[in-house]
Amino acid sequence: MADTAKEVPLNSVQVEALVVMKIVKACAASFPTTATGSIVGMDVNGTLQITNTFPFPMPDVAAADAHPNDHMAASNLAAAAPRSKANITYSNEMIKYLREVNVDANNVGWYTSANMGNFVNTSLIENQFFYQKEPNERTVALVHDVSRSSQGALSLRAFRLSPSFMAAYKESKFTTENMQKTKLTYKDVLVELPIIVHNSHLLTSFLHQLPAEPAKKELEFPASLADLHATQPPNPLYPNFESLDLSIDPYLEKTCDSLLDSIETHYTELNNFQYYQRQLAREQTKITAWKTKRAAENASRVQQKQAPLPEDEWERLFKLPTEPSRLEGMLNARQVEQYSRQVDGFTASITSKMFAVKSNLLPESS
Amino acid sequence: MAVDLPSFIHLARPLAPAAIGVQPTTAPVNVIIQPQAIFSILDHAIRRDIRDTQSTRVIGALLGVRSEDGMEAEVRNCFAIPHTENEDQVEVDVEYQKNMLALQLKANPREVLLGWYTTSLDLNSFSALIQNFFASPETGTFPHPAIHLTVSTDAGKGIEAKAYISAPVGVNAERASESCLFIPVPYDIRYGEAEKSGLELISGAKDSENRAAPVVTDIEGLERAVDQAIDLLDRVAEYVSSVLDEEREPSNALGQFLMNALSLAPKVDPEDIERDFNNHIQDVLVVSYLANTIRTQIDLSQRLATATLTMGGSDALAATGGGEGAEKGDRGGQRGGKRGGRGGRGGGQQREPREPAE
Repeated sequence: MADTAKEVPLNSVQVEALVVMKIVKACAASFPTTATGSIVGMDVNGTLQITNTFPFPMPDVAAADAHPNDHMAASNLAAAAPRSKANITYSNEMIKYLREVNVDANNVGWYTSANMGNFVNTSLIENQFFYQKEPNERTVALVHDVSRSSQGALSLRAFRLSPSFMAAYKESKFTTENMQKTKLTYKDVLVELPIIVHNSHLLTSFLHQLPAEPAKKELEFPASLADLHATQPPNPLYPNFESLDLSIDPYLEKTCDSLLDSIETHYTELNNFQYYQRQLAREQTKITAWKTKRAAENASRVQQKQAPLPEDEWERLFKLPTEPSRLEGMLNARQVEQYSRQVDGFTASITSKMFAVKSNLLPESS
Repeated sequence: MAVDLPSFIHLARPLAPAAIGVQPTTAPVNVIIQPQAIFSILDHAIRRDIRDTQSTRVIGALLGVRSEDGMEAEVRNCFAIPHTENEDQVEVDVEYQKNMLALQLKANPREVLLGWYTTSLDLNSFSALIQNFFASPETGTFPHPAIHLTVSTDAGKGIEAKAYISAPVGVNAERASESCLFIPVPYDIRYGEAEKSGLELISGAKDSENRAAPVVTDIEGLERAVDQAIDLLDRVAEYVSSVLDEEREPSNALGQFLMNALSLAPKVDPEDIERDFNNHIQDVLVVSYLANTIRTQIDLSQRLATATLTMGGSDALAATGGGEGAEKGDRGGQRGGKRGGRGGRGGGQQREPREPAE
C-alpha cells in the first residue's frame, strides 16, 4: 500500500459477485455451525475491493468435541478459527498460491456467518482486533446472516472496529473511569461500512443469459393445462418473489428469544458490577476504620512522646477489588441494539404484507 | 431449480481397455454446476496472464461431490492452475495443482476432484493430454471419468458451456496419452435456496452502467417484489379483459389455469379476517414496541453506568486524598449502578405482557 493511500479512511466496501456466492455457499454449508474464512483484495482510494475469498478449514470437531449435538462448542471453535495459528499458516499458503494465478494477494480481512444477527460477541471483536492491529490495518469483517438471508434480502454487512475502541482494547482498559475519559460508548465499538456488489463484464453478460423478466413478446398458447404446468417459465432471479412469503413469526419469535437472552446477560453483568461495588464499599469502610484507629493511636503515641506509626500501611493490608471489565456490557448493549433494529425491520415488512393480505381478502374495507 | 436443461441422448460409449479387476465406470454422468463455480471460472478468465503464454485460454480443476452411484456429479468449487501453451507443447504446473488440491480439500473435506475446466470451446490434442492427466489413476479421478467443462469467454459473445467426459481411443501406444474421445454429457446450472438471495443481489446489478449494486434492506426488496408482482397481475388482467372484449384469442388451458389459481383463495368470513388481522397486527406492533423499549432501557443503563462522575463528581477529581476520591467516585458509581439496575428491571417487567404476543 502506498503511503498516500493510508490517509484516506476506508469508506466503503466493494464485493465481487464471486465473493458473495462463495461466502453464501460456505456459510450455508456449515450452518448452524459458524463458518469463517479469509478474504483477499486491495484497497483503492478508500474503497476496499474484495475480489476473492477462501474458507478456513473446519477445526476437527470430532476430536475436540465429545457430544455430537453440542453445536455451541463446535461453533466456538469455529468462531475462533480466524486467529488460530494453523489457519494463519493456511491462509498465507493459500495466498501464496493465489498470487500465481493473478488473484490479488493481499489479505484484507475475514468473514463469518451469523444466525439471526447474533454476531456481536467477544469472538468477533477479538478476531477483528487481531486482523486490524497487524500487519495490515485496513481490514474488514464481513458478516453474512444465513437465517435472515433465507427470509428476505441478502444480509451481508461489513464491520470495522473504531479507532477509539482499538486504542481502548489494546490496553484492555474498560473501567468506568477510562470510559468516561474517552467517551467510549457501545455505539462506537463497531463501524459499519456500506457494501456494494460489483460484477465483472463477463459475469454481466452471463447473467443476461439467465432467465430474467418474463418475455415481452406474444407467447404461443399452451395446448392444455398439463402443457402449461410442464413448460412453466422459469422464475426470475431478480426481484426475488420469495420475499413475498408470509410466514415471518418464527423469525420474530427467535429474535425475541435472543433479545431475552441478552437481557439475562445484561442482568448478570449488572449483578457483577453491583457485587463489585458492595465489595469496594466494604473495603473502603474497613480502610477508613483502620485509618481512624491508626490516627487515634498516633495521637496517643505523640502524647507519650513516641515516634508516630506510618499512616500509609493500609495500602499493604487491604486489597481493593478490581473493577470488572465493562466490555461485556458494552457488547451486550450493542447486540441488543442490533436485535431491536432487526425486529423493526421484520415488523416493517410483515405489517405491509399483512395489510396487503387484508385488502386482498376484504377489498371493500380498504 | 434447473436454469438450463437441454434435451440429451445418451449413447453407449466405447469401453476403455482397463486392468482386469478394476472396471472404470462407464455410466453416463449428469453434471450439475453451481453458480459459484461458473463465477470463479469467469473470474479466472479475466485474470489470465497474457504475458508469457501464447494461449488465450486458462485451465483449472473442478471440485465437488459425486452421488453414490457416480451417476451425478455436482461441481461446487474450482481453482485455477497456471499453465503455458504454445504451438507444440503444453505445460501444466502439476506441483501447483497437487498443493492447491490439498489446501482446498483441507477446507472442504467432503469435496473430491471431479475434473477440469478451460475457457475456450476448442478441443485439441492438448485438451486430450490434460484430460488424460486428470483421468489417470495416480493423479486424477479414476475409476470415475474426469469431467471436462469448457466455457467460452470471448468478449462480445454469449457465454456457452459444454461438459464432456472421455474415453480412450485405439491408436498406437505412443500416441495414447495425447488422444481421447470426448463425449458430451448433459449439464445444468443449479442453485440452492441459500444462494437465491445472493443471486438476486448480483443480478440486480446486471442492468446498471457501472455493474454495481448496493446491498438492499428487506423492505426495499419487498417493495420491488410487490411492484413486479403487480406488473405481472396487470398483464394477466389486461389479457383477460381483451379476451372478454373479443380482441384476443381465448385459450382454454389458460382459463383453466387462472380458475385453479383463483380458487386457491380461501373462503373466510370477513369478520374472522378482521379479527385475526387486528390481533396479529397488534401482536407484531407490541413486539416491535417492546424491542425498542428494551433498547432504550439498555441505552439508558449504559449511559448512567458511565456518566456518573460528571453528574456529582466534579469535586472528586479535585480531592487530594486518594482514598477519599475513590470513595466519592464509588458513591457516584453506586448511584449509577442502581439506576442501571432499574433499567434492567424495567426490561424484565416488560417481559410479562410479551408472552401472549408470541
